[in-house]
Amino acid sequence: MSARQIVIAGGGLAAQRCAETLRRRGFDGRVTMVCAESELPYDRPPLSKGVLAGTDSTAVHFRDAGWYEDNEIELLVGRRAEALDPAARRLELDSGESLSYSELLVATGAVARTLPQLAGFSNVHALRTLADARALAAELAPGSRLTIVGAGFIGQEVAASAVELGAEVTLLEALPLPLAGLLGEGVGRWLADLHEDAGVRMLLGAELTGGRGNGRVEELTLADGSAVACDAVVVGVGVRAASTWLAGSGIDPEAVLVDGAGRTVVPHVYAAGDVCRALDPVRGVHTRTEHWDAASRQGANSALAMLGERAGPVPLPSFWSDQHGVRIQYVGHAEIADRHVIDGDPAQREFSVLYSRGDRPVAALAVGRARELISMRRLIEASREQTTDEIERSRT
Amino acid sequence: MTLKATIDEGACSAHGDCVAIAPGIFALEDTAVIIGEGSDELLLAAAEACPALAITVVDTESGEVVFP
Repeated sequence: MSARQIVIAGGGLAAQRCAETLRRRGFDGRVTMVCAESELPYDRPPLSKGVLAGTDSTAVHFRDAGWYEDNEIELLVGRRAEALDPAARRLELDSGESLSYSELLVATGAVARTLPQLAGFSNVHALRTLADARALAAELAPGSRLTIVGAGFIGQEVAASAVELGAEVTLLEALPLPLAGLLGEGVGRWLADLHEDAGVRMLLGAELTGGRGNGRVEELTLADGSAVACDAVVVGVGVRAASTWLAGSGIDPEAVLVDGAGRTVVPHVYAAGDVCRALDPVRGVHTRTEHWDAASRQGANSALAMLGERAGPVPLPSFWSDQHGVRIQYVGHAEIADRHVIDGDPAQREFSVLYSRGDRPVAALAVGRARELISMRRLIEASREQTTDEIERSRT
Repeated sequence: MTLKATIDEGACSAHGDCVAIAPGIFALEDTAVIIGEGSDELLLAAAEACPALAITVVDTESGEVVFP
């Protein structure tokens, strides 16, 4: 048996994929996972969907406890990485324990951003953890008034799940249209209509100033002087990397940069998932994508790198979202596009969008057209190298 | 090649990621379906990329479940 000990700080998807890959590739040394939540590792996408709708929340766990025993993966749950000493190769936990590692994976994920205007109210929720989802589910009942601050994908999915449960839902967004900056005004307008048709009240271009209430917020106040009455609030205004604990380790907590194999700037320390900024080979910059598929792949690739094996290629960024019975899928880099074309009829909830930079396709969005997305993805992959070259040239 | 994949049709929600990764092995109908054979590596990559966790990979020699 190998004397090496691999420690994984984190209990999400990237952490899970790393542990699985290590064992599958025959690593027989110690593997320890440090999971901040008092839960077996679980999958987050169902939190804004099935878990809110009342699906048995144990169904989101990747594996049962027996799997970790059978694979001799030591789970330290309810404990958090607190400090890293790379010279001594030790990870300090908030429990006072200290773990020695030969390789460490930093996979502590991200935490939901909060709004200082709403601090202290007990009925203001985030949606990042299973505990968050259970707390929010307990507030949702037919007729209860839910206001969601932020119309990103999390906010939109919560709106869709809550309206299905019979809640009266208001979705409040500071921008004039949801996600229009990345996906274009046509798609932003379509998303807003999708929610309104399903009975969600959309308050676009609305600036939140604060909340009124005693202990529980009863109404939100807006910059135009109006107020929104509510029984519960969800704040979905993005996340920040859970990396402050890396201060003083040699890794910048503001930017946990990794290469294609997940290596950080500190020897023997890797990072994967939402905590890290991975090198994007198309744009040549390090970015935090917050995508499910990136966490899955980065976790597996880090394990391969730890074992001296070659990591797989980096696929295009992609994500999906399910709302009001509609599947939205996206692949590529719409942020570098200078034009886009919509094919099909958005009103019929079956259409696709091809985003291009010049005449080269760089991203695609598909609604109800999963098969077409596969062929559009191939087109984008085929033109990827050209796109990389062009960006290089535009820099020099 | 010793690995074999199966798709849980109840769990599959037709994302198509397996088809994008291994087009010779998977195809997309109402759900994903298996249409061919491929390397162990491709099967595992497709299973890991499935957002619905609907692909099970079994070692046909040992009978052991390799994924999930």
